[in-house]
Amino acid sequence: MLPDLSPGVLLAGAVTAAAASLWLLLPRGAESRAARWLGLVLGAVALAGLVAAGRRLGSLGEEGVFLTVALVAVVSGAATIVTRSPVYSAIWFALSLAGVAGVLLVLGAQFLGVATIVVYAGAILVMFLFVLMLAQPSGLASYDRVSNEPLLSAVAGAVLLGLLSLSIGRLSSDASCCAPPTRAAAVVTAAGNAVSPGSRRGLSEDTMKPGAEATGSAQAAAGDAADPLAVDQVARLGGELFGRHLLAVEVAGVLLLAALIGAIAIVARGEAALEDDRRLAAEGSRR
Amino acid sequence: MMPLVAAGSTALLHNALLVGAILFALGLVGILTRRNLIVMFLSAELMLQGISVSLVAWSRYHGDFGGHVLVIFVLTVAACEAAVALVFVLQAFARTGRLDAAAWQALREATLPRAVDHALPASDAIPPRWPRLARAGIEPPADDAAALEREHV
Repeated sequence: MLPDLSPGVLLAGAVTAAAASLWLLLPRGAESRAARWLGLVLGAVALAGLVAAGRRLGSLGEEGVFLTVALVAVVSGAATIVTRSPVYSAIWFALSLAGVAGVLLVLGAQFLGVATIVVYAGAILVMFLFVLMLAQPSGLASYDRVSNEPLLSAVAGAVLLGLLSLSIGRLSSDASCCAPPTRAAAVVTAAGNAVSPGSRRGLSEDTMKPGAEATGSAQAAAGDAADPLAVDQVARLGGELFGRHLLAVEVAGVLLLAALIGAIAIVARGEAALEDDRRLAAEGSRR
Repeated sequence: MMPLVAAGSTALLHNALLVGAILFALGLVGILTRRNLIVMFLSAELMLQGISVSLVAWSRYHGDFGGHVLVIFVLTVAACEAAVALVFVLQAFARTGRLDAAAWQALREATLPRAVDHALPASDAIPPRWPRLARAGIEPPADDAAALEREHV
């Protein structure tokens, strides 16, 4: 196993290794095989550090499933930004989406896991690939072989990741101080407070009854809300979406329509402007 | 279906938030460094994925659907953004013939110096490996003896 390292040191090392690996792997014009291998090794070290910084989930099966999908998401996400060819980049992004969908499924978001695959990988990514086919010059373009400030950007990303992971670690190391209680726990606590005076002796029976009923319904509600993997989860998500958030759904529909019309308008105007440009250029050359 | 990990599990929340943070940081590095407009948009989508994972993790922790609903709207807005952005990219390509963000540096502020590319080596030190497909539509050589012979019985 790893030697005893404090979590902060472990995270700092992992994040530094990740930044160095990204810097070595990003397109920089002049590459060498040695730099690429060093980048891959440093990336593996960074991943190992980040895995060690994660919490254990309990059983080996859960751990394995989560680790697999999370590694797929992260590794192919990194490959998305370091691959030179944009087509390969898009395909790596599709694999990253598959990993993210797996993480969402482990988190109990069945609808979102499927929707990520269908909407992102099935629709948005295919649109990206269409544009690439329309607009990609043959072979690698010069701008795919260089990048803007790879060192500074890798450092910026590492600083952001370090700060985020530090705050995440502090947030969940003692949940009682920072994290608010779950809604289900709050409901149960409130119900307990409501019923505890009633359960004392010496109170009349009719004051006890509503309290007992409240406890029952509160526990039912708590059981309902606390189990995100219940059979009717997607149905309840739909109820929430079209009940509490109905107005937002309508606004999202208007946004989609506006984007559709806007895209068509931009194409039409762009064509007209291009024609104008060509005519002006032709007139200029004639003169 | 049995829940894998109990709701409100701090360990699951921690790990999922870590994954979301890594995806977000990767997307940030990508959008800062890459010059291909399409790859820049892919990096932005990667950042959105990180956000989605974090939102769903919090939603799981609290046992309600707020995060899920937000992620659905993130998906919607991402679709709109991709549609409009790709139209812009296509127009930019029609103007300049390149998918290069630096092709538009005439739009920079007047006080900023012009970014100049350093001389690139004529070809990559590591040539890209493109997939090689077998030629299709060719009649295979017919060999009756080989067709009758079987490797395994």
